[in-house]
Amino acid sequence: MKLLCVDSELVYRDIISLYAEKEGIKVRCESSFDAAVRAFEEFIPDIVMLDVLLEDKDGFELVKVLKQASGSRFIPIICLASDTADAVMDKCFQYGADDFIPKPFSEVLLNIRLKTHMRHIALIKEMYRKNKALTYYQTMIEREHEMAHHVLDHIQTRSEKNSQHVAITRLSAASFNGDLALVKTRSDGARLVFVGDFTGHGLPASIGALPVMQVFFDAVDELVEMGELAERINRILLSILPDYMFCAGYLILMSKDGHLLYWGGGMPNALIRRSDASIDYLQSSHMPLGILPANEFEADLHSHYLNPGDTLIIVSDGVLELKNPQGDMLGDDKVERLITEAYANKDLILAQQKTERVLAEYRGDAAQLDDITLVALRSSFL
Amino acid sequence: MSITVTANDSEHYVVISIMGSFDFSLFNDFRAAYSDLPHAYSRYVIDMSMVEYLDSAALGMLLSMRNAIDATLPIELKGANDFIKNILMISRFDKRFDIQ
Repeated sequence: MKLLCVDSELVYRDIISLYAEKEGIKVRCESSFDAAVRAFEEFIPDIVMLDVLLEDKDGFELVKVLKQASGSRFIPIICLASDTADAVMDKCFQYGADDFIPKPFSEVLLNIRLKTHMRHIALIKEMYRKNKALTYYQTMIEREHEMAHHVLDHIQTRSEKNSQHVAITRLSAASFNGDLALVKTRSDGARLVFVGDFTGHGLPASIGALPVMQVFFDAVDELVEMGELAERINRILLSILPDYMFCAGYLILMSKDGHLLYWGGGMPNALIRRSDASIDYLQSSHMPLGILPANEFEADLHSHYLNPGDTLIIVSDGVLELKNPQGDMLGDDKVERLITEAYANKDLILAQQKTERVLAEYRGDAAQLDDITLVALRSSFL
Repeated sequence: MSITVTANDSEHYVVISIMGSFDFSLFNDFRAAYSDLPHAYSRYVIDMSMVEYLDSAALGMLLSMRNAIDATLPIELKGANDFIKNILMISRFDKRFDIQ
């Protein structure tokens, strides 16, 4: 810790040096304005004590000059004055001083003030250090998220484009999307769908997404049976992900005639909006993928059906847990009402856009905390 | 501290209480809560009655604990509110934990 003492009176320079050096502080003393400015640059003090009455120039002005020279560094300036009128004190603070000690002062008072300021300096130095570390990590994480985003976007391009039969909406939370939505029509005309939600965000989610994508598209080509596909995805995630990571998801095969065969684990109910505005549900009855060892994994499937004009909507929990600016979650009921209303539209893409609009309006300027995925499917059977 | 550990040595069980938001920010503290115990207990209780929110990362942390503790020793998830209980049931955590 270094102290710059600026005083025109030798006796005070000696007193301050003596007291401060007892505290282990290195002291440099000056008596004039110009010498003080030079010393400030060369000596680089952590703290300054100065009398506003100088030999040559105005001490108040010196406070201002030194504060400016400090830039973004925090270097407390303690003003000393024999004139203890309020006006003098006030002027010190107006010019940028951090503290004021009237002369004469006792050793105890000087010690207390010095120690207080030293504590502040230490705190602020620690804060700077931590800030720097945080900025470093933030930049690093942003870069990693960017990369993960890139990887996932690439995967997504292999999925089917939006049409009157398939509409996919993915909205990333502030950082990165841990959701995955894949749709592809097989050679037999059946459509294979995977909607997954990885635990957490960022790089780990995209690491899991890559092999899932590979297994999914292989299954499209090879017409792999659904239970077998669920087992394959589970096995591969179990082997590559750490035990605290998994993937909730629906695997759905929609035949040309509208028959649905599905496996669901850890996902909220999927909704079938019937053409008469009633609602049916697909329920996930299993643990998410990537948790159970192969011998415990349950690959049993459920079935349902889509008639012409019906819409199957799969939402991730990010939709149900979407918060408005008041902090209220959207919840099952509102989502159901929204879906009943929006998907009355015969045009699937317009219905999807309407849903996106209502979700955005609900959120308002509240932060989106989780990823949002919304997949809508209609039967191509006429 | 949003995690407190209370061991009952005479009855061989330990209670890990979580307060507030059970999410990724507790990753290290939660792991420490069960891995720093001096010895194994015959029963583990996670008191979730003070948990307001739980995210999927917390589910992962619970699974991690399940893997770290001998599979024959029960882990109870106690006092979860309806919202959280629903999350636990959707992911079928009843297959690995006693949900009270």
